[in-house]
Amino acid sequence: MAQGRKGKLNYRCPRCLMREIDMDMLYDRDKDEYYCLRCSFVGDEKEIQRLNAQFREKYRSRMIRIKDF
Amino acid sequence: MSTFYLNIVHRPEMVPEYIQKEAEQGKVEDLRRYSVLQESLDIFRTQQQIAHENGLRTTIQMTYASLFNAEAVAIAKEHHEQFGDEIGSTFLGLQCAEFREKFKSKELAIWLFAMEDKRKIVDEVFGKFYEVFGFYPTSTGSYYMDAELVNYIKEKYPMVKAAVATCWEEGPKAYWNANNSWYTLMDGGPWNPWIPSKRNIHCIASDEADDIGIVAIPHLSRDLMAVFDGPGSYYGTHPQNILRGMVYENREIPYFKNIVDQYRAMVKYNRGYAYNMMYVGPGWMSKGGRWEADYAFLLKSYKDGMAYYGELKQQGLLQDLTMSEFADVYRQNRPYTRPECTLWKDILYGSQRQMFWYADPDMRFCLDMNQGGAMVDLRPYAAKLVRPCGVGTKANQDASYPFLVQSLYRAGFFTHYAGEGSVKSCKIGVGSEQVDLCACRTQASFSEEGDTRIVTLGPVTIEFDGFSARVQSIFRLTEGSGEVEIVRRILDSTNPDADFSLDEYITACYGTTEYPEDLTGVRLTLVAADKTESIEYAYRCREAEAENVQFVEAIIPPVDTRLTMRADGPAAGYFREGFSFSPMYTLGIKKIVKAKGELRTWLKVAKAS
Repeated sequence: MAQGRKGKLNYRCPRCLMREIDMDMLYDRDKDEYYCLRCSFVGDEKEIQRLNAQFREKYRSRMIRIKDF
Repeated sequence: MSTFYLNIVHRPEMVPEYIQKEAEQGKVEDLRRYSVLQESLDIFRTQQQIAHENGLRTTIQMTYASLFNAEAVAIAKEHHEQFGDEIGSTFLGLQCAEFREKFKSKELAIWLFAMEDKRKIVDEVFGKFYEVFGFYPTSTGSYYMDAELVNYIKEKYPMVKAAVATCWEEGPKAYWNANNSWYTLMDGGPWNPWIPSKRNIHCIASDEADDIGIVAIPHLSRDLMAVFDGPGSYYGTHPQNILRGMVYENREIPYFKNIVDQYRAMVKYNRGYAYNMMYVGPGWMSKGGRWEADYAFLLKSYKDGMAYYGELKQQGLLQDLTMSEFADVYRQNRPYTRPECTLWKDILYGSQRQMFWYADPDMRFCLDMNQGGAMVDLRPYAAKLVRPCGVGTKANQDASYPFLVQSLYRAGFFTHYAGEGSVKSCKIGVGSEQVDLCACRTQASFSEEGDTRIVTLGPVTIEFDGFSARVQSIFRLTEGSGEVEIVRRILDSTNPDADFSLDEYITACYGTTEYPEDLTGVRLTLVAADKTESIEYAYRCREAEAENVQFVEAIIPPVDTRLTMRADGPAAGYFREGFSFSPMYTLGIKKIVKAKGELRTWLKVAKAS
């Protein structure tokens, strides 16, 4: 197995992120995949981005400009 | 006239942890690595430029490392001359080759050194600052500045008038968020600037004798709802924190402006005054990108945030001050007893939820309107606990101010089918039916009557077998009283003959983390017209109740606090001891009323000794 190293943009583990743990992943060049040392997540960039988009969904007001206070 | 003050703080942190860690991938540690020093300085310069382009002045907090860098010093002097920026000092960014050589330590947090070392470091940092600039700084800071540290600084360098002193609600949540590796355990302070007590930095000073001599500023202005139940470093006036929390879409972050505007709206609760602070270290704007954002997005978010402040300034809606200027302005019109109040509303999750935050020299608490105004956090500032932190102290890394109630760390209304959680609320009963107001969502409004702040909750309808009743809660906070007055009123009922039992209670404990502390020795007392009962806590489920109660109280020696409840007329009082699977104590006052009747009680937090 190849040495794990920092990947592009320091992707955090999207599964750990779901429980609000910031856990940087390691990148395996040979397999072109990221993996988490904590929760066993494995996935490529596309999969991470899909899960990150899912994470953002909890913020229902994220694109609303609120002015009434 | 309303005023919204802004402090922008920048620091030339020569060896920021994040950039240093990046640069070290696959290499040995080198605190003089040229690429790191240069990148950090470039980012600092960029941050300064963005502020100035938007017509905003900054406080430049020189790190110890930057005092050895001629370029950083030259920029600070130039910007002080040209833009009127303040040159202050920070205890962040201590680590550099010179520090390592002198102090032989890798410790990065000033509050975690032994007291003897804190003194030496203060003298070294301030001495070097004087050598470089020819004067001592009047503002300083770190993520946390313990009272013992600030007392020493004031004794030796009395000109210091402001300090960044805590990160709001960075405690167990921040630790957990950082894979249990970030030791900013400092829950329990105010969310907006305050004058701290000499005894504990978290507590608001009671009077001149208790005044530590600085104005404390929290590190960032944070979302008072999201951060109560989430990581501090996701939700605040720190654009890259928001990127870390991923509160954006298509590279746009309206949430930043929403936070700023909600802080601006605090003028309604605080006699026309509101405040914001922005403090982004260079490590957060690394050229290599961070938090799934590339450098272009990191930069854009910073520019957008600063542009909004600039826009507000141009419209005459914001006053940018340096930290020391702000300290002077703050003291001009701030009686010690004046509370800080905020009715915060959800700007993140799309709910209508509101939380009311309150802080004065006696207590800090939070009411959750999603739980019928239940008190979900209570910190006994009146105890002014002397609780030193750092090596050689009992607290060591745990610099938080203890709570009596914290509904997230110690359950709350909802528990897993056994025992009770910490919360203050009221149960409304008829016959064998009983409903806790925690289950009745509502909204609140804020008003004032002289020196009394009033939080009035919208009526909630409670369904009983065959009829319903509307109940209203009102919280009255009279400045300087150290008490919370609570009114529970049956506004009307479809059954006018029904007898309602109103049971006002507080279920509490003490601690700074999620884990239980030993309650042995906590004294529970009930004093009634013809009866007094008192027990020492021993996890034995004992209870006592009496009519015509004068007061019920708990004395909690580990936090030197006396918690008392009393009523305004005839009522029954009780206390309840818990057990090991439910390590809580409960005080309560009960009364039977008809429709239109009410129960009025007072909760007092005082120093026990």
